[in-house]
Amino acid sequence: MKFIELLKTAWQSLKVNPKRSFLTMIGIIIGIAAVITIIALGNGVKKQMIDSFKTTGSGEQTTTIEFMSTDPNAVGFKPNDILAIEQNFSGKVQKAQIDTKTTGIQSYAQFGNATDTRVTLGVTTKPIADSLIVEGKNFTQQTFLQAKPQVLITKALAKREYKDIESAIGTPVFINNTNYIVVGIYRQNQLAEATEPTAGDVIVPKDVYFANGTSKTQGNSLKLTIAKGENASKVTNKVVDYLKKNATAKDQGEYSFFDLGSMLEQLSKVMDTLTLFISAIAGISLFIAGIGVMNMMYISVSERTQEIGIRLAIGATPSNILLQFLLEAIMLTVSGGLIGFGFGWLFAHAIAKFIPGNITAVVTFNSFLLAFGVSTAVGVIFGILPARQAANKNLIDILR
Amino acid sequence: MEKQLRPMIELKNINKSYVQGTNSYHVLHDINLTIAQGEFLAIMGQSGSGKSTLINIIGFLDDQFEGTYFYYEHPIHEYTRAQFSSLRNQNVGFVFQNFKLIQNISIAENVGLPLLYAGQKRAYIKERVREVLKAVGLAGYEDQLPKNLSGGQQQRVSIARAIVTKPKFLIADEPTGALDSETSKEIMALFKQLNHDNETTIIIVTHDPNVGAQADRLVHILDGRLTEDVDHKPKGDANEVH
Repeated sequence: MKFIELLKTAWQSLKVNPKRSFLTMIGIIIGIAAVITIIALGNGVKKQMIDSFKTTGSGEQTTTIEFMSTDPNAVGFKPNDILAIEQNFSGKVQKAQIDTKTTGIQSYAQFGNATDTRVTLGVTTKPIADSLIVEGKNFTQQTFLQAKPQVLITKALAKREYKDIESAIGTPVFINNTNYIVVGIYRQNQLAEATEPTAGDVIVPKDVYFANGTSKTQGNSLKLTIAKGENASKVTNKVVDYLKKNATAKDQGEYSFFDLGSMLEQLSKVMDTLTLFISAIAGISLFIAGIGVMNMMYISVSERTQEIGIRLAIGATPSNILLQFLLEAIMLTVSGGLIGFGFGWLFAHAIAKFIPGNITAVVTFNSFLLAFGVSTAVGVIFGILPARQAANKNLIDILR
Repeated sequence: MEKQLRPMIELKNINKSYVQGTNSYHVLHDINLTIAQGEFLAIMGQSGSGKSTLINIIGFLDDQFEGTYFYYEHPIHEYTRAQFSSLRNQNVGFVFQNFKLIQNISIAENVGLPLLYAGQKRAYIKERVREVLKAVGLAGYEDQLPKNLSGGQQQRVSIARAIVTKPKFLIADEPTGALDSETSKEIMALFKQLNHDNETTIIIVTHDPNVGAQADRLVHILDGRLTEDVDHKPKGDANEVH
């Protein structure tokens, strides 16, 4: 008998009892869905870990060291510091340069004659959303074309520095050796991504900020390009240690490195443990589901004794019968496996939304093969005994 | 049409006994029977006489027996269980008292099943099924389920399934046992027609003398022994029973 006909026969038999078939599959669905979910999340964490090192095409990784000063005039990274790093860590650090980042710049601002205030500064090349402006005016195209030294500050900052926000408009603010004029007050956008300038306290035109001579050669944020094959976290931490001892501004502030890599590495370890744990539970679930399949197949074999007898009488070989019942079991578990795979995919993506750190679930073809392989194996292991019982039935006893 | 009388089935000194619990039953005693190709044979006996056991052996369903069984001079008594499957599939069609159709598949699928197991192509099966359903008077019933048919119709389906592989012989175990007398006549007429038109050897097992009387040759079995062999229509040959 042709294999495709055996498949059709198996499918027809399962269709006779759709409810029973489905209930038998549930255990498999749960087991496979759990495994796929946890593996997809684990993969997501690993992918995030790799991505976060911003590995370039040539395999280099970059990290950023921040300097938080206690002294408003202090500069964390001066040209000689950068040179020292490049000399002392040659081979490990390929390049060290001031990070000309556009948001989240830690800086000091002097409002009028008051003392320096620490602010989070963002630069921009276009006006911000008009809806955010609560007082004064937004930047205009002229601001950028003519590189006007204008500044937008948040409502909260204006209230703190000027008591009422109207009086802030038109006053000078001294930031990073440049005098800016306050033109508008904006509502801080709490929901904005960290890459949006409106997430910070102060916004200035980019060209004006970086036109200031020192911004490119010294600053409070240093970007390191780590040589290929080196452990980015370790190297960066060593550089931080070195800076704490030797940097020009070592007594004026704190050098720090937000080690996303090691955080993700820890998360990854947690995920590995969790994967093991959930896999164990899923294994038990699959085992119990397998016993369910076996039970159902035994019932099916005894219910269909007559059918088996008829098939044998008209020329089916015992191996035809064995294959038919085995295929029924496999079809049941593989369907369960595929449905479980689908659910696992959905769950993983849903859960990823609630995990901090921008994790996305990654479902790979290997996960698919795993779901397919495991469910097939469960079908074979738990289907073979009932199928053999069916094949070894005594024809004479059945037809009596 | 003159029937060819080449010996088809030769049973010599067949003995069969089985053990149930502590009791041993000797069901068949020294059966000797020769059946020629194209014969229409009836085996009559009371229930418990061993007639079903005998046809199970003749129909390659039972390989546990003593004695020798030659089928077209092939030593069936030496065959294995696995060989029996294809032997059945290619040489014998079964018609049972209670039809034994598979309930959850259509008439066409029931009839085509032996061809599927023989590895035939779907297109051929479809054509052949249509042909045999027409031959048993059930053209157009292909897509019905067995439960929607009357007893007589189901028995016709069962006969169609038995002849679909063009077997050398048919074994019918009480084929009219579950049918009323009118339907019985129709089924018997169908058997006669098959025997006449296709020269299919037909072996009918029955306890009904009316059915037995319609066969060309009648064999009685009592307590596991063949006791009588009356040739209704003598053809001048020696269909011996020892």
